Amino acid sequence: MSEGWLAPFLLATLRAATPLIFCALSVVLAERAGVIHIGVEGVMLAGALAGLLGVVFWGDAYVGILFSLLVGLILGLLLALITVYLPSDQVVTGIVFNIFSLGVTSFIFRLAAEKNAAVQALIPVMPGSVFGLSPFMVLALVLTVFMWWFMFRTGPGLKIRSMGEDAHAAHAAGINVVITRMLILTAAAALSALGGAALTIGWVRSFTDNITLGRGFIALAAAYCGRWNPLLATAACILFGAGEALAFRAQAAGEGLNPHYFLMIPYLLTLLVVAVAGKGRAPADVGRPYVRR
Amino acid sequence: MQAKSGTAMMLNSYGKRFWDLPVAVPVLSLLLSFLVVAVMAVIFGVSPGTLLGALFEGALKGRFAMASTVKETIPLALASLAVYLPYRAGFFNIGGQGQLQVGAISAMVVVLNVSGPPLMVVTLAVLAAMMAGLLAVVVPLLLKIKRGASEVTTTIMMNFACIQLVNALITGAMKDASAFFGTTLPAPEQYRLPEFTLGVTVHIGIFIALLLVAGTYWLTSRTTFGVRLKAVGSKPSVAEASGIAVKKMIALAVLGGAACAGLAGGIQALGVVYRVAEGWSKGWGFTGIPIAFLAGKNSLAIIPIAFMFAILETGARYMQFMTGVPAALIFVFQGLPVLVFVSLNAWRSSKPNKIER
Repeated sequence: MSEGWLAPFLLATLRAATPLIFCALSVVLAERAGVIHIGVEGVMLAGALAGLLGVVFWGDAYVGILFSLLVGLILGLLLALITVYLPSDQVVTGIVFNIFSLGVTSFIFRLAAEKNAAVQALIPVMPGSVFGLSPFMVLALVLTVFMWWFMFRTGPGLKIRSMGEDAHAAHAAGINVVITRMLILTAAAALSALGGAALTIGWVRSFTDNITLGRGFIALAAAYCGRWNPLLATAACILFGAGEALAFRAQAAGEGLNPHYFLMIPYLLTLLVVAVAGKGRAPADVGRPYVRR
Repeated sequence: MQAKSGTAMMLNSYGKRFWDLPVAVPVLSLLLSFLVVAVMAVIFGVSPGTLLGALFEGALKGRFAMASTVKETIPLALASLAVYLPYRAGFFNIGGQGQLQVGAISAMVVVLNVSGPPLMVVTLAVLAAMMAGLLAVVVPLLLKIKRGASEVTTTIMMNFACIQLVNALITGAMKDASAFFGTTLPAPEQYRLPEFTLGVTVHIGIFIALLLVAGTYWLTSRTTFGVRLKAVGSKPSVAEASGIAVKKMIALAVLGGAACAGLAGGIQALGVVYRVAEGWSKGWGFTGIPIAFLAGKNSLAIIPIAFMFAILETGARYMQFMTGVPAALIFVFQGLPVLVFVSLNAWRSSKPNKIER
């Protein structure tokens, strides 16, 4: 490695970690309230496309971000209706939602490309970067701290966590579980979509079918690795981002350990953490549909 | 739940007949999904009829197309067994894709390194594939049984770990040195799955798949094992109290399911693609999930549903070529029915509550 490799490496790490951070925070938020957020991958994919389309059709990165958030809110509401209001199995719903989202985004991408060829080209670099740090990176770090403060230091945060531990007890304490969980999942999905926008607007600057390539699942891994604590989850994202940056570096160098072994790290590490921690710290009521008795 | 849907029936005597049929919800889901896809086709400027025509033509017209659709059904059916069987015991195996991948690479390891009578080598390869699939689920299984960790997390993690492991092998240790991309050497011809012609030419994997689906049906609905499994899946504490070895039952169902996924990979490697290369696999392991859920209580339904999904997979390219509608549209067709299905089911079972209130 040449001189001065550290700064570019850290930057590459943070760049790869940023989309993951938003998504991991969204998983932490939803699952602390008791809803498994497997659909993070699908929402992220939709957010990635929406962000790019926003930039292409309205010509402004921030409009792209807003559009992506809007799409995230709508999809979150849809997921909330199915998994919280009805309520159906959260895992099945999340998984088939991901398949569905893959189909719809690929379809809309083609459709948009027919209307405007610029959809398939690179979009401009996002303005507002400071020292190579994009606004997304800063926002991700700020949101992490905010989320931690909100979850563990405020009343509403406590109420959300209580829903994740025991929905019926939370109901007895006067919380409207269905409405609150729906709101939380909707907000969480908006965050997942923001993660997608961070991928397309803030990093790759283009869209291809299935561009997220399982990053939503890596974020899921990070949230579990971080034991549903925003600070630890973000730390896990940065670690995983470093793994990805190392893999790129190994690929570019063409020598040394096969980069695919680096890419296994997030998953194996998560398994290790799960093995050591077991059920510890997991929201006890997560994944159980809440039906009023 | 039975009593509650009775209330709903009394309230709506007209709707009860259709609503109570086991096929009602799947059929409604398919119709609704088709409606959505039709609308998407129209948005794209193609008539739904043309779209479906192209899809079916690409999948079923001519011996070659028909054969690939039948062959495509095999991994889909096996992968859905990998979800179906563990789910009966209350274990949600999302790791099918990873199990399938390691199954395929293990079968390749055997046929590329062992020589002997073809029957022996192929049997060994198929067993190795099942073994690999099984091993890929051991960690999630142990974590579930011993530590109470959710299998949803751990099987997803194993998926990606397995996929990366296979990628590492085909771009590294097992790479065909003469290829420009990551791939294994091709399986020697004598060690490929034998083919036969019965209208269309397919490999013998079809018998394995049919046999396993039928076996699963027999096991789950005609044996005490099946009854116990159901007890474990629906109320583990009650099952435990009535003397059923709950953990053992879960382990058996999960290991059996994962072996099916490994088998799917092995069969696909030795029967269709003959080498494991970068991007060789479609998402059969994931597609198995919606198939298993659409099949519902009757595992025999896996065969027709897997065939239907196979039509979508093989017809998609031709559809894109003929109509310009992106092939990815089939993912809408694969995901949406189950999304509607679970919603309708949930709505149906929650409706009486809302009326009572």
